[in-house]
This record gives sequence, structure tokens and C-alpha cells, in this order.
Amino acid sequence: MIRKEAVEIISKSIQESPIVSANGFISRDLFEANDKNSNFYMIGSMGLSSSIGLGISIINKNKKIYIFDGDGNIFMNLGSLVTIGAVQPKNLVHIIFDNSIHESTGKQPTNSKKIKIENLAKAAKYKVFVVTSKKAIIDIMKKIKSLSGPIMIVIKIKPSNYISTRVTLEPKTIKNRFSKSLLS
Amino acid sequence: MKKLSQRQMFDEFLTIGIDNFIGVPDSTMKHFISQGLKKNKILIATREEEAIGIGVGISLSNKIPLIFMQNAGFANSISTITSLVQLYEIPVIFLIGWRGYLKNDAPEHKKIGNIQPKLLQTIGLESKVVTDLNWKKSVKWAIEKTKKSSCALIIRREFND
Repeated sequence: MIRKEAVEIISKSIQESPIVSANGFISRDLFEANDKNSNFYMIGSMGLSSSIGLGISIINKNKKIYIFDGDGNIFMNLGSLVTIGAVQPKNLVHIIFDNSIHESTGKQPTNSKKIKIENLAKAAKYKVFVVTSKKAIIDIMKKIKSLSGPIMIVIKIKPSNYISTRVTLEPKTIKNRFSKSLLS
Repeated sequence: MKKLSQRQMFDEFLTIGIDNFIGVPDSTMKHFISQGLKKNKILIATREEEAIGIGVGISLSNKIPLIFMQNAGFANSISTITSLVQLYEIPVIFLIGWRGYLKNDAPEHKKIGNIQPKLLQTIGLESKVVTDLNWKKSVKWAIEKTKKSSCALIIRREFND
């Protein structure tokens, strides 16, 4: 399974729930697969999607907030696991698309094969699931509906040569439509 | 700034409706922070960029956050401010300590203290030095600024410890 397939399955299954997606190919995949007002594409500031998601989850307790993160991205902001683990937001679902490379910058390796993100998240008091197939993603998405967070789903994906189109929306447009979607 | 005015400034923000304060501590503003801790309104982050990320999430949720940090942390955060806060025009209020304001401050504070005003100007983050005399006006100024963009209040370190 490649990242875009996993991104598409999840974003379609959660309908209008807010998503904060990490910079690079993750946001591009989401934009191409299933653009919605409730998607916040973080196009710069690598590493911070989980922190933005935490801020949103603190205010919007009645909505489930999804973070689409990568292995390289979360490694840049491991402190975020500490803060999320301490705050224990019930409505936060942190998804890691883990291919053990920085695919967006030319497939340089990350250390996620040596240091398992799932173990770090367990230490930070997340409920953690690891999946490797499309069927397992569908099953886990059903299962977490009745679970309270913070939840992490690590999805092991294969490197890919497929490159989705750039996010063509203006940053201000991304912000305005996303903020408005949170009011509904 | 004196203990009393730091505490009063915190209460003023709270009264106006700012009730999310995220950051990394600075002794320069320790009374401001301790007032917030007393009222259970403070979230301490591990790094300043993380604090900004959390603050951005709050601002996206249609609430104005205050993000506090030392000037060392401000220097860490330049890219996050330019490529997240300013890029998306996200309104937040920064409260930044000014270490190195005094000529005889510790060696690790001198360089950053010296370039801090220029750094703020270079990245185009509007700022105002907040004092015992002007804090009420400064809070009002910051709230007004967030109708359009982000801004920073600067609190000088007027002591050595």
C-alpha cells in the first residue's frame, strides 16, 4: 500500500471531521484524493501538525480531530508526544504514515526502523495501533469510533514514485475555510 | 516589570477573553506565568515552536491565544513565525522576554538581546515594549492588532539573578 491509498481511505471514512495534514507529500496526497473545507494543509513549519491538532482538540471537544503525520515529521517534534500524552485529549487521533524515509525530499532514510514510533507513543500514554493493510485500516477506523484518545495509528506504507499535485489553494483561503468549518 | 503589574496584566487578558496561554517559561515574566498557573490557564510546551503550533490550533478554532517565551526561543521560532503564523495570517499574541536588555546581563543573553529589536523588525512582527506604566494600554493594543494579524509584547529583563 502506498501513502496516497491510505490517505484516501481514511479521509473518506471520516467525512467532515477536521484533518491537520503534515507538509510535503502528505498534504499533497490529501489535497488530490479528497479536498475538503475541513482539511488544514500545513505547507510549511515541518513537524508541527500534531501541535496544531492538539490546539484544535483542546477547543473543539465535541469533534474528533485527525492528524495526518509522517515519520520524518514527528521525529522533528517529539516533544509533541510528551505534551499530548500529558494533556490526554480524548478527541485526538494521530495517524502516522510511516515509510521510514523523507519521501518529499528525495527518499533519504529516517530512523523509524530502528526507533519505533509506536513505542514512543506508548510511553507517552497513547492508545497505539499498528496496521499494514487496507483491510486493517478499515477495521481500525471502525474500532476507534468508540475509543477515547489520544489514539495513534501507525500505518506502515511502501515508498512510492507517485507524486500528487501541489496544494494550489492560497494559505489564507485554507485557513478561512477551515476555521469556518469548525464553527458548524 | 514588577510582580503586581505582571499579575494584573495576566488578569486583564483573562477579563478581555484570552484564556489560552501556551509557552516555555522565562523568569523575566515569572509572575505573569505563576498567576496563570494559579488560575489553571497555562499549558507548558517542550519547545517554543511547539507552543506556537498549539497556539495556531487554538486561533484556527476562532479563539486568540497568548504564546510566551524567552528571546532565545523567539530566535528558535523565526521559521515557524514566518512559514506558519505569518504565511496563513493567523492572529496570535506573543509575549517575549528581553534577556540581554541590561548591559551587564549574562554572556549568553547579550547577542540575542542586542539583535532582538532588529530581528522583530526584519520579520515584520509588530511589537511594543510593555512596562509597569503602559501594560493596560499595551494589552488593548495587542487585542486590537489581532483583528488583522499577530503581534508581540516585549517584556524587559531589568534584573540579574
